[in-house]
Amino acid sequence: MAKPAVVVVGADKGGVGKTTVSRTLLDYFSANNVPTRAFDTESPRGTLKRFHPDITEIVDMTTTADQMKIFDTLNTVSPSVTVIDVRAGLLSPALASLRDIGFLDAAKAGQITFAVFHILGPSIASLEEIAETAGFMGGAKYFLVKNFINDTQFFQWDQATYNSYFHRIKDATELTIPKLNEMAYEQVEVSSVPFLKFVANKGINDDAANYSFVLRGYVRHWLANVWSEFDRIRLTDIVGSKPVTRNSEK
Amino acid sequence: MPATPVYIICSPRPQVGKTLLARLLAEFLLLKNGNVAAFDVNLKEPSLLDYLPGITETADVTDTYGKMQLMDRVIVDDGLAKVIDLGFHAFDEFFKMTEEIGLLKEAARRHVAPQILFVADTDRVSARAHEMLRGQIPRMNLITVDNEYVVRGELPAAMEGGRLFRLPALPGFLKTYIDRLTFSFTGYLRQEKDSSTELHQWTRRNYIAFRELELSLILQRS
Repeated sequence: MAKPAVVVVGADKGGVGKTTVSRTLLDYFSANNVPTRAFDTESPRGTLKRFHPDITEIVDMTTTADQMKIFDTLNTVSPSVTVIDVRAGLLSPALASLRDIGFLDAAKAGQITFAVFHILGPSIASLEEIAETAGFMGGAKYFLVKNFINDTQFFQWDQATYNSYFHRIKDATELTIPKLNEMAYEQVEVSSVPFLKFVANKGINDDAANYSFVLRGYVRHWLANVWSEFDRIRLTDIVGSKPVTRNSEK
Repeated sequence: MPATPVYIICSPRPQVGKTLLARLLAEFLLLKNGNVAAFDVNLKEPSLLDYLPGITETADVTDTYGKMQLMDRVIVDDGLAKVIDLGFHAFDEFFKMTEEIGLLKEAARRHVAPQILFVADTDRVSARAHEMLRGQIPRMNLITVDNEYVVRGELPAAMEGGRLFRLPALPGFLKTYIDRLTFSFTGYLRQEKDSSTELHQWTRRNYIAFRELELSLILQRS
C-alpha cells in the first residue's frame, strides 16, 4: 500500500480562496486517477462538501473524535490521499494539534507525506501568517499559494517587502493561481458541480447540462493554468502516484 | 450535412472594407439560403446594422455577458449561416477570448465551421494582427481578404501564403452609390436589366467567389 499523503489547504485569513484551491486539487487528483478523500472543516455546513459530496466529509477539527476520524484512518482506508480544507482561522491551531498528536514527527520521519497549501490573500496580515505557519513546516512540503482573486500584485512592485515575506522560508515553493472570470466563477457556484463537470457540461448527476460555452471555456482555460502549476511541482509524485495522461491531453 | 459556417470578418484597422464585405456576404447567404444571422460588433464605425437591420443584431464583446450573448448563439450547429462584422476596436478582445475559450476546438466538436476573413492592409498593426491569427487559427480557417481598394498593389509577403479572397476595387462613383443605406446588392442584381454594368459584374463576381469559398469549406470537411 502506498504511503498515506495528507494535503492541508488553509489560511488564517478568510475569503482568500481556500475552498476554491481545494476544489481544483480534488479535480486534479480525479483527472489523474488518484483516489482521494476530503475533509471539510467548515462545520456544520461545508462548501467543499457541496461540490464534492461523494468524497467529502464534514468534520470539526477542534474535537478529538474528528481528529481521530481523519488521522487514525490514514493507514486503513483505501484512498491514500487525504485533502483537508481547513476553515479560516484554524490553520495555526490545526497545525499545532498535528504537532501535539505526533503527526508532524511522523511526517518528518517519512512515514507520512505531508503537504501544506498556504493560501495567501493580498494583505500584509495574510503575509504575516507565513512566519507563524513556518514554525510547523519541518518535514512538510510547504507551498505558498498566491491566489489572484483580484488584481493584486502581492507587493511584487516592492521587492524589499516581497522578499521579506516570500523568501523568509527556505524550502517554501510558490504557486500562482490565476484569476477566474467572475461570471464563470459565479456560474459554477450556482451549478454546485466540480470544475471538471462544469467544463464537461455535466450536471450534478452526470446528466447533460446547458452551461454557457463562453463560461465553460473560461473555466477550462483557468483550470488548465492551475493544473499546470500542480504539474510543475509534480504533485502526483509528491502524493506517491504515477502521473497519467489526462483525458483533456489525449 | 455540411457544418454550419460562421464567417468572422475582421481587421485591427478601420475603413478597410469589413462592413462592405459583411454586407455582400450576408446578402449572398440570404439569397442562396433564404436566411442568415448577422452580428454587428461595431460601436464606432458605420455598421452592418444600418444596412441590413432585418437580419442583424448588435453584439458587444467588452464584457463577459456580451461575449456569452454572442458566442453562445454562434457556436450552434443549426444550419443557419452566421456573419460577424467585427469592428477594429473589438479585434484584440475578441481573439483573446476565442483563444481562451477554445473556440476552434469546440466548433469542431459541435460541427460548426468558423471562417476568419481577415481584411488586409499594409501597415504594421495589420501585419502583427495577421501573424497573431496565423498562430492561433488553422490555415484552412483563415482567409486573407485582399481588398484592392485598400491594398492598392501587392499584399505583404507574409499574408500571401494562405487562402486568399480578392475583392476587386470599384470606381469611386460606384463606391458612393453602394454606400447608400438603402442600397442592396441582390436588389440591384434583380432590378438592373443590363448585366454588363460594372456594378452588376462586380457583384456577380463576388457572389461566385463566395460560392467557391463555401465549396472549399465543404471539400475540406469531406
